[in-house]
Amino acid sequence: MQQLWLIPCLPLVGFLLLVLGHGRCSRSAARLVGVGSVAMAALVTLWVALDFYSPGAAQSYQVELWPWFSAGALEVSFGLYLDGLSLSMLFVITGVGSLIHWYASGYMWQDPDYQRFFAYMNLFVAAMLMLVLADNLVLLFLGWEGVGLCSFLLIGFWHQDPANGYAARKAFVVTRVGDTAFAIGLFLLFRELGTLDLPTIMALAPEQFVMGANRPTLIAALLLAGAVGKSAQLPLHTWLPDAMAGPTPVSALIHAATMVTAGVYLIARTHEVFLQAPDVLLVVAFIGLFTLLISGFTALNQTDIKRVLAYSTMSQIGYMFFALGVGAWNESVFHLMTHALFKALLFMTAGSIILAMHHEQDIRSMGGLRRQLPVPFWCFVIGSACLVALPPTSGFFSKEAILNASWQLPGYGPWLWAGGVLGAFITAIYSFRLLFMVFFGPQKAQPHEPKGWQFHPPLMILAALSLVAGWFVLPTGPVLPASPAGHPPTWTIVVAIAMPLLGIGIAYQVYVRHQWQGLRLAQWPQLRQFLFQGWGFDGLYQRLLLTPFTALALVNRHDIIDGVPKLLIQLSRFLHGLFSQLQNGQLRFYIATLASAAIIVLALALKVL
Amino acid sequence: MNWLELTSLMPLLLVASISVILLLLLAFVRDHKLTCWITCLGLAMAAYWAFADMGNAPQQVTPLLIMDDFSRLLGGTVLLVSLACGWMSYAYLETADEIREEYYILLSLAALGACVLVASNHFASMFIGLELMSVSLFAMVGYMAHSKQQANMTLEAGVKYMVLSGVSSSFLLFGVALIYAYAGNLNIDLQVAADGPRLQSGYLVIGSALLLVGVAFKMSWIPFHMWTPDVYQGAPAPVTGFLAGAVKVAVFAFAMRWLMMAQGDYLDLLLLGLTVMAVLSMVVGNLLALRQNNLKRLLGYSSIAHMGYVIVTLAASATLGATAQSTALEGAAIYLITYASMTMLAFAVISQLAARDRRFESGTLTHYQGLLFQQPLLAGALMLAMLALAGMPLTAGFIGKYYLVLVAVDSQLWLLLSLLVLGSSLGLYYYLRVILVLCKAPVGDSHLILGASEKLLLMLLVAVTLWLGLYPTPVIEWVQFAIQ
Repeated sequence: MQQLWLIPCLPLVGFLLLVLGHGRCSRSAARLVGVGSVAMAALVTLWVALDFYSPGAAQSYQVELWPWFSAGALEVSFGLYLDGLSLSMLFVITGVGSLIHWYASGYMWQDPDYQRFFAYMNLFVAAMLMLVLADNLVLLFLGWEGVGLCSFLLIGFWHQDPANGYAARKAFVVTRVGDTAFAIGLFLLFRELGTLDLPTIMALAPEQFVMGANRPTLIAALLLAGAVGKSAQLPLHTWLPDAMAGPTPVSALIHAATMVTAGVYLIARTHEVFLQAPDVLLVVAFIGLFTLLISGFTALNQTDIKRVLAYSTMSQIGYMFFALGVGAWNESVFHLMTHALFKALLFMTAGSIILAMHHEQDIRSMGGLRRQLPVPFWCFVIGSACLVALPPTSGFFSKEAILNASWQLPGYGPWLWAGGVLGAFITAIYSFRLLFMVFFGPQKAQPHEPKGWQFHPPLMILAALSLVAGWFVLPTGPVLPASPAGHPPTWTIVVAIAMPLLGIGIAYQVYVRHQWQGLRLAQWPQLRQFLFQGWGFDGLYQRLLLTPFTALALVNRHDIIDGVPKLLIQLSRFLHGLFSQLQNGQLRFYIATLASAAIIVLALALKVL
Repeated sequence: MNWLELTSLMPLLLVASISVILLLLLAFVRDHKLTCWITCLGLAMAAYWAFADMGNAPQQVTPLLIMDDFSRLLGGTVLLVSLACGWMSYAYLETADEIREEYYILLSLAALGACVLVASNHFASMFIGLELMSVSLFAMVGYMAHSKQQANMTLEAGVKYMVLSGVSSSFLLFGVALIYAYAGNLNIDLQVAADGPRLQSGYLVIGSALLLVGVAFKMSWIPFHMWTPDVYQGAPAPVTGFLAGAVKVAVFAFAMRWLMMAQGDYLDLLLLGLTVMAVLSMVVGNLLALRQNNLKRLLGYSSIAHMGYVIVTLAASATLGATAQSTALEGAAIYLITYASMTMLAFAVISQLAARDRRFESGTLTHYQGLLFQQPLLAGALMLAMLALAGMPLTAGFIGKYYLVLVAVDSQLWLLLSLLVLGSSLGLYYYLRVILVLCKAPVGDSHLILGASEKLLLMLLVAVTLWLGLYPTPVIEWVQFAIQ
């Protein structure tokens, strides 16, 4: 496991090479560095994993690379920590990441800023790896902000269009709200425990905190706020749909597979703190539930293919939060992994469709594409099957486990379960609505399928992985608490399997056979508009926060406090002018000054006598 | 004079011999390049000797000069500054419509005077050193007398410097005479003759006050600074560099030595005078520079401010006991070394530019507009010099200023410390303004090609300025070694 440091270093070196060689090396060289560095990181991850799984190997491995800073009692080092949880994340980031890089090398080939794109992507992967490998929360925060920065840069990658810049800014500002809470949480945690070293926190939290007391609850709530911002959960979720302004591989890598799941990772990583705050855990479950329902309903009538997938991502991360909240820790990380696979697959397939349709993203102008685009079609079918959790795809295993665990939560369990199943039903409808509208029905435009070794192989590999990933076993068992034992009644399982099928059936009736049109939301234009705009959250925030803030800013446009520095400036300029007058170049004046100054000195000397 | 004394005096002898060799040589051969080479080599050898001699026991050579590690360290620094000055003068004089070779004789004499001043612990040698330096500089400041473009400016500057310097020297000399009248000898430590002071101590106080006036003039402490901007602007750029670098270091070294010895009731007066001058120099010097449009004039005001900052170490050394004195001395030495490196860097850039086009030194800042895109090396070096003068971390200027703050806090000189901070923030404005001008879009295009030796000089100065900022430990250890 001594090679661990190589994993975040390789993409970082790739980033540096791409930045320093900007404008000086060819596209193929940029491709080699950009894709190669992440692929090599994936190989090193495999190497490390072999060590990790070898018999007798330690369950966790901590290495301090070098001290970063120390201030008072706070000593922070660049240290890496590997256990089952971070190893699982490494698989996702480097594995899915290198497939997406591979795909992006073809997708972005025509872009004039090819090299800049890969520089940002590599920096993102390096920051994300730093986030999951950090052995202390400060370094984790560095990675956390690093991925935020890269997300900003990549959403606004096509900065020539101001709308993209706006989307990037929105993502940055909204997540910043959560990050601020996260940082305050870190300060409090340090004040309470005197350390930010993750293994130490995990050991100290159960001893130092009283379960359910104010302090762990406050700290957990603040950490949750950070996680909510990063993972686009209610109420800080409004940035994710707009983030689709970035290139599609970015959406696949950052806004589906890796960065947006950082919140889940954070909660799982600090689970000992959350276990001391059961109230907050319940809030986590309900945030997940509401997010998955609200974004599911919104996805029902989106018309932009990427926005449908964006809402679906929010909804699936909602399931992960839901799982964390009900105590299904391992299942949550498992769903994180399967979701990364099938959502990356769906996004990249969507990317292929968008390329084929000449950058048309509106699904109303697509249709009947299954014959012209057979490979994307089958990949999309597999991805959607995973998304709606059809057995025996990977999505089925992970979602089923989450629902089963939720049933067993004492108190709210059955209610949460019902909400989750409703979510699964909606998921089925919107996923297959998308599938049917894009691939079935009359053909509306002639697509040009992008072909080549950068397009189909990564899709096929991801499709195969999405199908079989249900049988994978992640090494998170020893790290995270086990989910509640026992089995829910059999009928719950039957319902949970039946609901998605029902949803698919309805979607088939409505969108392929064009029956049951009474179910279409077009019947209620106002409700449709409300749902289309994501339940009016943007408008709410506009009215609640932005309008008062801009009004306040307008009132104080000529900043009152600015007056003080302005006065200082005026004073300095006045004095400058005054003294400059004395510098008149007249020798006689200079001598007179010298002599008078000498006389003053002499007068002082005589006074001392 | 025995052999040991002779070898320890070697740096001075070497510099003196340069002027003799050049005088003899010029009777037979007139060759600018050869002259410059001999000067630079001689100065380099002398500097090397001074540094290599460090660690040996202090040598009192006659009652006039003391060659201790302090003299060797700062004398070596002065010699290096002179070396840089000679180096950058070559290109500058090459393009001048002027007799070139005699300049180097003057330069070596000025360097000799500065070294004598650093090493003097007797008022007689102090006066000889000071005047040797000043008289050579009168001629150097007004050297471009035959150039059509420059004659007016340079002669005006030379005459102003000569007259004002003469006035101040008369104050200084009178002060020395009064001190002699009091003490009966001219030793800098004011050892009163065996039969006791012949006059009352009032003579000592008045004499010291007048001596301070003379020193303050050379250091251009406000209100004795009036000559500075005019002379800085009028003098040829390399000479301005010498004025800003070598002269200040040498005179300050003498002032330090004098005040360390000073004790008794007249110390209060000196402290009061120094504090007033420090306050004025820091504030007014920076204010004067604020919107200055000629770079050399701006650097003149900036040097006023910097010499105001460094008074902090003098005040500290005069207030406190022996341990704090060594901190103050260390701070002063490091500040002077860092200041010399960055100010020479700035003047190297100016004189290399002025060698091509004299408007770079006589004209306004607009000539520098967009230089970064036309001359990245020169403009980058100038930016570094500006950042260093502003005291930015990772440059030499930060280390110097850090030491001043350290010394001020140690000695609890709160007034001076707060004004130092205020002055630094004012300073940032005009240093950054220069950088801003360099970064603007260029007007017209320039075709300057630097020679290899000019580039080498720039690289060396940049390297020293960065090295002092990035990894100052060796220099700090070296200075500490010299002071103990």
